[in-house]
Amino acid sequence: MKGGKEILTVVLLAVTAVLMLGAIYMVFVYAPEERVMGPVQRIFYFHVPSAIVTFSSVMVLLVASVGYLSTRRAFWDNLSRAATEIGLLFCTVVLVTGPIWAKSAWGVWWTWEARLTTTLVLWLILAACLMVRGYAENRDQGARLAAVLGVVAALDVPIVYKSVDWWRGQHPVVFGPGKKEPLAPEMLRTFLFCLLVFFLLYALLLVLRTRVATLEDRARSLSETLGGR
Amino acid sequence: MSAAPRRPGPGFLRGAWIVAAKDLRIEWRTLETLSAMVLFSLIVLVVFNFAFDLTTVRQVGAARLVPGVLWVTFSFSGIVGFARSFAIERHRDSLSALILAPVDRSVLFAGKTLANLATVAALEAFILPLSAVFFDYDLLSLFGPLVLVVLLHTVGLSELGTLFAAVAARVGRGEALLATLLFPVASPLFISAVKCTAAVLDGKPLSAVSSWMLMTAGFDVLYFLVAILTFEYILED
Repeated sequence: MKGGKEILTVVLLAVTAVLMLGAIYMVFVYAPEERVMGPVQRIFYFHVPSAIVTFSSVMVLLVASVGYLSTRRAFWDNLSRAATEIGLLFCTVVLVTGPIWAKSAWGVWWTWEARLTTTLVLWLILAACLMVRGYAENRDQGARLAAVLGVVAALDVPIVYKSVDWWRGQHPVVFGPGKKEPLAPEMLRTFLFCLLVFFLLYALLLVLRTRVATLEDRARSLSETLGGR
Repeated sequence: MSAAPRRPGPGFLRGAWIVAAKDLRIEWRTLETLSAMVLFSLIVLVVFNFAFDLTTVRQVGAARLVPGVLWVTFSFSGIVGFARSFAIERHRDSLSALILAPVDRSVLFAGKTLANLATVAALEAFILPLSAVFFDYDLLSLFGPLVLVVLLHTVGLSELGTLFAAVAARVGRGEALLATLLFPVASPLFISAVKCTAAVLDGKPLSAVSSWMLMTAGFDVLYFLVAILTFEYILED
């Protein structure tokens, strides 16, 4: 059982590493250059999957938080901690790659547009969740407070999005209605492949971080048994 | 041995009212929180008047500037009040006594929120006329809709403020953590508050911002329910 898990993780690691190299090849060699925006458009293949992974991580956070509050099993708390941290990581990637693209496409680094603002607010909320964990007096308290904040934060994200969307909007809509020219098939294939790779990377990081958190728990309980050093 | 007959605790509304009345009575006798909030909000207003003097306000128009000034003032002073509402319990460790009360924990949340709402509303009753004086807009003709907008958004602000103040108090932190938690989560509330206040100051009818008002009402209800369901986990030891 234990060995099986280890092997699965190693396989996941190997597959992700190989596919990541493939993704880099597809982004820089296979995908054609965009006519208007030029090479800077290629950042889209990292930016959008990171954003999708970030918001999926919020869903994981919601499920893990509710799971912890209803079962009180340490696994859910470790999962929610991992989802918060890795969500924050991908959120940072989104916030760094976005302005690099925006400076060349829109002429400004930042604009207070719906998705940008929502992502920034989400970054702040996730950081606040981690802060509360850090301040907590003990593990149980941190887990409980973080779970409550996880629920509040996850429910807040769609509301923030909707409200900023009403407030103002100019983000490019690549998919969905209102788009005249469809993406070139090579571009779409590259994008979908990158999306897959980013989800694999997310899953790998989530598994590893949850595992580390479980090991931290064991180390803590062992040191408590041995006389609290 | 038979258990002593249990006296049923008060119902939800009555319990919430008892908790709120207790807090408000303490506040009424000391005026500690309200005086701190009033002084702080005065300072914020004065600083804003350094930034935007009357000439600027007249040029840009009150409807463009005043909503932001008002909501920054309300939320900053609100933070002072929310943090105090659990600090008074910490002082004599009376939070344990409160938790032992024969009511559901959600009743404590409702009571604390009610007391905070009343305190912030009292502050707003002081700030609104003052801002009309400082920024030269006609408060009397806009009084009804403006009060409605301010109260609707203050309800949500007090709910989240109370919830996060409890979190901050549990980990022994004050205003800094409270602000870090409150401002991002309450951002839809602030956007809506500024939009609605601007519309009212522009002399538009409330129906022009009905979708914002509806969203805020939904926000108020949603977070009241979420807080009711989760508050016991925050207070748990």
